[in-house]
Amino acid sequence: MLNYIWGGLIVLSLVFALTSDVNDFARDTYRNDAPLPVTVTFEDEYSPTARRQRLRIEISDSDLIAHYGDSSMTGGTWEGILLQTSAGREIRFAEGVSLPEPLATICNETGQGDCRGALQGTPTGPEWRSAVTFAPVRWVKMNAIAAAALSFAETAVTLALGLIGGLGLWMGLLKIAEASGMLHALVRVTQPLIRPLFPQVPKDHPALGMIVLNLSANMLGMGNAATPLGIKAMQELQTLNKTEDTATDPMVMLLTMNTASVQIMPPVTLVAIMGLQINQLFFSILITTGLSLVVGITAVKLLGRLKRYREVSP
Amino acid sequence: MNILQVFLDYASALVLPAILVGFPLYGMIRKVRVYEVFVEGAKEGFNVAVMIIPYVIAILFAIGMFRASGAMDFLTDLLRPVVGLIGIPAEVIPMGIVRPLTGSGSVGIILDMINQFGEDSIFVKMAATMFGSTETTFYVIAVYFGAVNIRKTRHAVPAGLIADTFAMLAAVYVVLLLFG
Repeated sequence: MLNYIWGGLIVLSLVFALTSDVNDFARDTYRNDAPLPVTVTFEDEYSPTARRQRLRIEISDSDLIAHYGDSSMTGGTWEGILLQTSAGREIRFAEGVSLPEPLATICNETGQGDCRGALQGTPTGPEWRSAVTFAPVRWVKMNAIAAAALSFAETAVTLALGLIGGLGLWMGLLKIAEASGMLHALVRVTQPLIRPLFPQVPKDHPALGMIVLNLSANMLGMGNAATPLGIKAMQELQTLNKTEDTATDPMVMLLTMNTASVQIMPPVTLVAIMGLQINQLFFSILITTGLSLVVGITAVKLLGRLKRYREVSP
Repeated sequence: MNILQVFLDYASALVLPAILVGFPLYGMIRKVRVYEVFVEGAKEGFNVAVMIIPYVIAILFAIGMFRASGAMDFLTDLLRPVVGLIGIPAEVIPMGIVRPLTGSGSVGIILDMINQFGEDSIFVKMAATMFGSTETTFYVIAVYFGAVNIRKTRHAVPAGLIADTFAMLAAVYVVLLLFG
């Protein structure tokens, strides 16, 4: 199923990006190569020879609406500079100005932090009525998905390597727990509770201890500890796996208990966002996560009986 | 704060130090060569982190492309009439779609919703309950199965998504019940 979802995500993103871009093309959303009327006011006296001059750029509501055909748009006045070179005159909006759509997209796509466009005509006075032409914008979404693919691939590596420290620490501690017989004691005490969910795991197997630790860390909202403990539990379960690449029933159960998330304490990120309000949500989260855990466990048990999943069971 | 919360607060603050000190201490009592054993175990950390890289790249890049393509908006529009029938407000649909896919994405959605509807809005409560009661399913699959090189995931994805879908619906109803 993951194959279909994964392929589906990629194909769908192409389809949506293409649709969006063709739609932009057909409607000429960005009015490529069409000049947009603007009023330029110079901060100081206009000088025909100066290379850079500070100015204010005013775009009226009616001009914007007429140009882009969207009656909800409102214009405004923005700071910027005039750049005069032998090739012509260009305005640049000051960095970080907030422009209405689709201007903001045009600027994002064509500028390098600042938003630029070519001005028509020569200045006539301190207040100059001109028109600006931006560089043509095409394939916005296609560029966006390509950029996203690259940046997320980089994020993946950062995330994975960021786990090294926590993984090392926990794997070391767990090795001590194993060698000292602590894990064995934990398994003996907790297996009556946990083994009914993992009947395929032999009695007194260390995997049960790792599972207990992983689930407890999850419950206490200790996300940083839960991941290494869960990975360690998976490794223990893998020692019982007859195949190399196929998930066993206990593995699917452990994974679902983790994705359904058994937290009693709300996750740290959420506490950071919500602040004190999290106290109000304590029970709604507890009830929801408890119910979804039960549903998840039931789903694993029932789906595991389906022929298509039973047949490939290692 | 109720008593359960206070207890959990103490528990989660004390458990980690207790383990960090308790495991090696108990090992020493049991005459384990703690340092040597620790280093031997910790060695694995690096290998595991490197091992999961291909899995996490595969999942994240597909999700990143999907998000950037604007498919999310389209899906929201598509689901609006359907979920409306069972009493789910359209405002929380983006959270329901994004939550199993990306953690950072769902944080962004909550922050947007707080700006848009205000902290006390029932929509924010629903979205936060969704966030708090589920996990980024696809990332967890990549990390946990990647660490042991499991590629054939069998019913892990459907089971995870069933639990997620249920949690999204339950979050709405539970919040309505408690605050509505």
